[in-house]
Amino acid sequence: MKILIIEDEADLAKNMADYLITQNYLCEIAAAFHPALEKISLYHYDCILLDLMLPGGDGLSILKELKRQNKQDGVIIISAKNSLEDKINGLQIGADDYLAKPFHLAELSARIYSLIRRKQFSNSNIILQNDIQIDLLSKTVRVLDTPVVLTKKEFDLLLLFIGNKNRVISKAALAEHLSGDIADMLDNHDFVYAHIKNLKRKLSDAGAGNWLKTIYGTGYKWDAG
Amino acid sequence: MKLLNKTIKPFAFYALLVLAFSIPVYFFMIDFLWKNELDKHHTVIRKQIEKEINDLGLADSSLVKMLDMWNKIQPRTRLTPAPTSNIIKDSIYTTIRYDVHEQEIEQFRGSITTILINGKPYHLMVETNMEEFYETLLIIVLVTILFFALLLGGIVLLNRRLSMIVWKPFYNTISQLKSFDLKGHDTIALQSSDIDEFETLNQALSQLIENNAAAFRQQKEFTENASHELQTPLAILKSKVDLLLQDNSLTKEQSEKIASLNIPLAKVSRINKNLLLLSKLENRQFAENELLQVSTILNENIELLEEHFTAKNIKLESNIDKHIAISANHSLFEILVTNLLLNAIRHNQVNGVISIRLHQRTLTFANSGTSELNEATLFKRFTNSNNEVPSSGLGLAIVKKICNTHNWTIDYDFKNHLHHFTINF
Repeated sequence: MKILIIEDEADLAKNMADYLITQNYLCEIAAAFHPALEKISLYHYDCILLDLMLPGGDGLSILKELKRQNKQDGVIIISAKNSLEDKINGLQIGADDYLAKPFHLAELSARIYSLIRRKQFSNSNIILQNDIQIDLLSKTVRVLDTPVVLTKKEFDLLLLFIGNKNRVISKAALAEHLSGDIADMLDNHDFVYAHIKNLKRKLSDAGAGNWLKTIYGTGYKWDAG
Repeated sequence: MKLLNKTIKPFAFYALLVLAFSIPVYFFMIDFLWKNELDKHHTVIRKQIEKEINDLGLADSSLVKMLDMWNKIQPRTRLTPAPTSNIIKDSIYTTIRYDVHEQEIEQFRGSITTILINGKPYHLMVETNMEEFYETLLIIVLVTILFFALLLGGIVLLNRRLSMIVWKPFYNTISQLKSFDLKGHDTIALQSSDIDEFETLNQALSQLIENNAAAFRQQKEFTENASHELQTPLAILKSKVDLLLQDNSLTKEQSEKIASLNIPLAKVSRINKNLLLLSKLENRQFAENELLQVSTILNENIELLEEHFTAKNIKLESNIDKHIAISANHSLFEILVTNLLLNAIRHNQVNGVISIRLHQRTLTFANSGTSELNEATLFKRFTNSNNEVPSSGLGLAIVKKICNTHNWTIDYDFKNHLHHFTINF
């Protein structure tokens, strides 16, 4: 899986690449408008992470160029301008997702994961992870053919873990994934613990292995082995 | 008090003083002139009588007869022989007495003089009816009051007229200033005036407003730019923390410390986002309104925060009318509801209550609390009215701003140990 990171802030681009490599993605970085245009014309990427404010041009022009060339690359806009117009504009031109800075790398990875799944398996989208079977379309989960009934939040958490295998996900990132924009307004992230506990219990009740590990004081990790 | 009334008052008082002072002056003048004229008249009469009678050259007996006759038919005069032993000195006098001819009390001016007829002294008394002094005084007072009324009426009318003309540019300037909004405009077009003072005022005001607008614009741009510029370094920090956590060689203490960085990071991100939101609200960058079903948005947000209600064991009492729709910006209304709900959860007590009521055009959020908050600073930026719970200090400022943007009002009060926030659509 190939990912193009179009981001002029070298430090941030490198952090993203460092993290995504651990999820078995190949990452390339374009730090300005023209190199980015060149890369999208020459190669195919499974996912493009696009910053809107670039030296040399507007990120939305790159998106337009992609559509003009009829390319099927998935695009996630990563913008410092958390404005609704930008978001609507980008999604209308053909971006697949929009992530406002600052974000957790776990969130980014999960978004990339589900975007690629959506793009590549449009009809039957079933993820097999360890002994767990996740149907993305019907949003159902089975463990060794035993159906597991999860709440929406538990299901969302499960997908976040699957998109960040073997990575420590902080409670803050989990809270942000569950509550979205309001997570940073919450006093404590203890509510995450309740959902994780339920998810773990439901999976183990159905006979799944103990993949979800607690990292004391920091967060949780899906230990895929 | 209006400026005009302020100037009329001393004018009117001064006019009253002058006119009041004129009353005795007029009275004594008239009285003096009248008496003086009558006295002259009496002197002339005396001289004429003395001369004419002496010229007749009447014998003493005829004179007695004539005097008898005279005193009978000539009213207001009396000519009597003066006893040589008791010759009265000439005198003039004023008297008030009942008059038989007029049949009422009258005032007379009279003179008593001694004249010589055929070499013998006679007392001549001449009286003339004059206006009683109190009648004169009354008329003067009445006339003065009339003129004072005319004067006052004239001053008021003239002042009103003048104010319309002279003060018009001033009132124009004031009404323009009242409706002027620094957020909407940079300059103000004040009507020019041919009166120097007002023209100077207008120029000074325009200059002041221009400077203020420039400062305001700079401040706004600064907030916006600073917030934008902060997003990327924040993103780097956040991703660095995420990456650091992956290091297997970290001790438990180290990774706890690293993870705890997420809390201040989240707070800075929130402040930054809120500042951006506030500056966008001030720039009125949220124009499009749509028809929103209030109950739907309320229920969605309540559901989203449900676990936080249960975490504090907060009882939710909702009384939401399902059929209320308002015209508002969707994302702003959501922010408003989230902020108020989070506020109600955060500043609540364990086992507390949150009550949400939507009825007609009012939406009320109430939550348990211990003491009343300071309403004066409640909706201001960074004025934490409660020191127990940390917050970005912008939540209610944003709520207030969103209400202003939609021309809604928001009120706070504290009743029955509950904080009430009421929005009137």
